[in-house]
Amino acid sequence: MKRVTWGFTVLVAVAALVWISAPAVSQPKVVKIGDLGSKVGVFEGYGKYQTMGVQMAVEELNAKGGVLGHKIEIVSEDDETKPAPAVRKAEKLILQDDVKLLVGAVSSGATLAVMDVTKKHKTIHWNSVSCAEFMRTTKFHKYYFSNQPDSRMQANGLAKYIVDKMGKKVYIFYTDYAMGQSDGRQFKTALEKLGGEVVGVAGAPLDTKDFSPWFGAINQSNPDVLFVAFAGTDSLRLMTQLHSFGMTKKYKMAGIDCFLLQQDLPSIAEPMEGFVQLNHFSPYNPDPNMQAYNARFKKKFGTDANIAAGSYDAVLFWAAAVEKAKSFDPDKVSEAHEGMCVDNTHIGRQCIRKDDHQVVMDMHLYQVKGGKNLPIARIAGSDSIGEAMVGKDPVEGFTWEIKKK
Amino acid sequence: MSRALSWRAVVVWVLLAALPVLPFMSKFYLLLAFDALLFGAIAMSLDLLIGYTGLVSFGHAAFFGLGAYASAVLLERGIVSLWACLLFAVLVVGLYALVVSYFSTTRRGIYFALLTLIFAEVVYTFFRYTQTFGGSDGIQGVPPPRLVGGFAIDTPMRNYYLVLVYLGLAYLACRVLVTSHFGKVLVAIRENEDRARFLGYNVQRYKMAVCMISALLTGLGGALYPGRSAFATPDLMLWTVSGEFIIMVMIGGLGTLAGPVVGGAFFVLLQEKVSSYVDWYFIVIGLVLIFIVLFMPKGLLGIRELLGGRRWRATA
Repeated sequence: MKRVTWGFTVLVAVAALVWISAPAVSQPKVVKIGDLGSKVGVFEGYGKYQTMGVQMAVEELNAKGGVLGHKIEIVSEDDETKPAPAVRKAEKLILQDDVKLLVGAVSSGATLAVMDVTKKHKTIHWNSVSCAEFMRTTKFHKYYFSNQPDSRMQANGLAKYIVDKMGKKVYIFYTDYAMGQSDGRQFKTALEKLGGEVVGVAGAPLDTKDFSPWFGAINQSNPDVLFVAFAGTDSLRLMTQLHSFGMTKKYKMAGIDCFLLQQDLPSIAEPMEGFVQLNHFSPYNPDPNMQAYNARFKKKFGTDANIAAGSYDAVLFWAAAVEKAKSFDPDKVSEAHEGMCVDNTHIGRQCIRKDDHQVVMDMHLYQVKGGKNLPIARIAGSDSIGEAMVGKDPVEGFTWEIKKK
Repeated sequence: MSRALSWRAVVVWVLLAALPVLPFMSKFYLLLAFDALLFGAIAMSLDLLIGYTGLVSFGHAAFFGLGAYASAVLLERGIVSLWACLLFAVLVVGLYALVVSYFSTTRRGIYFALLTLIFAEVVYTFFRYTQTFGGSDGIQGVPPPRLVGGFAIDTPMRNYYLVLVYLGLAYLACRVLVTSHFGKVLVAIRENEDRARFLGYNVQRYKMAVCMISALLTGLGGALYPGRSAFATPDLMLWTVSGEFIIMVMIGGLGTLAGPVVGGAFFVLLQEKVSSYVDWYFIVIGLVLIFIVLFMPKGLLGIRELLGGRRWRATA
């Protein structure tokens, strides 16, 4: 009885070893880059567009001969919007596929976990979607770069417009995980600095199906503006439900840059009418760089681009840094990134701040009209980026306490 | 004990010990092997409940997650001794398991399963919403634990050998347990709980004891996880993770100990491989499970029966 069991165990072990070692084949003159994002679930849209941005950049670079004479290959993996799979896949990309660049993840929680992996294994890591404030502060490492405006940048850009043009009494409603908490905290801080009043805050879990239990508290606090920090399918459900309760007409509404992708807007045009959002891209922005990028994107994929276009720029930045360093060595490539500017990003010339590896990104405020994100104001990246806070706690002294006026 | 240390068992352990020095074993494969052995060991400890006692626990992820949090909390605060992490995990998981097992074992069948699930969901929700433990993002970026002095478990190879030792000790403990009189009583409870009670056995105490042992072994496995991954998050305690543990046991073969180890390793490798090719990899895993339940109800170890071997499942 035991004999066969142990023999069978050995057989299974040998089969497993053969199986897992099967694809370990290296190819000359090829450099691999990793694309790690949500392929299913609440952030599926962002992950898929991130992949498209990476594909477009790689196609364009390969058409010009690749990078350092190497053809670029993409290895895409699904992070399942959770830290554990994200870490496992990041390890697979770095240790098995030997990627020289990792773009991702999508959810802030997953990206924060992946940062430990890229730090440990010294891999250039670009974040183009996640926006928690800890990435360029307490979690920062020399291989990490970001062209996604983080919560602090977004709050700095959005709060002033809200206080000046929309109203001073604001209710903050956020998705209760890294990204939403970060957006809520930074927005509250920025708003109160500008003399605004936060009349209430609430967090709803990620992937909440029914938001109505929170609506009573929002109505009771009677805000001028309802600031919402959600993303993906959460945003779709929230707006539909707010609209059915008449709250999209009752309050002015504003939200973060990844609240909804442009592609989602036409389907909920009515609930979103008048919604104000800070963003670094819209296909309806007349900016010639955005229009040129969108035309190329649309030609390739048959749909408009969106904020996940940052992944396109990430690959361009990395390729330029590799060419500058004349090496794939992560330390040399990291140093080459610092202070670097690239002219042909999806919004034109952009530069990386040396201090915290954040791209100084100009943004626009957009207002939704008829299902389209139309620009209403421009905010210079230098005005919103804030001081570099590497190693400092960006939420020191913060409290969710409501200060009654 | 002699059964556990048969020469074939020794061959398996030697092969597993030699794995890291094989030429194709990259760091990634070592990490994958870590996961395979860790979850295999956890599935084995769950088999004590499902396979030997007939108790289906839908809350084992909570034991695993609590062990991970106990370890991560200490590591985050600079207490990097592996022994301290393990001891703290035993304390935390033990206290929780005492409560869960006391109440859950007063009920049978679906009610036991539901109670374990509900307790686990309470723990999950607590960690999900408690900012002291990082809320939904959990505790991230913890340093590796140290075995003695400055010897840190900070490489895939060291982590692999650590989990191999854990698996070995857990296997020995489980083997000794199921071959003892205690193990026979567990199987008797599985086969006919009322009769076991009529024979004078305090059934609830036996069930509580096996719950505690299974939970502690799982919690110890959880305590090793942050050293490999550098984090502990509430997702580790989600009911779907408990479901995965049950699937591992079923894939391997109920009531076999070695089967769930194979099942756990198979599940991890299948998940890793399939998820790299298709987004909806759980459909593939689901199909595999359906196939196993329909055609190989004794799991992967049941293949030996198809090859002419004898029945393997534990009997009283």
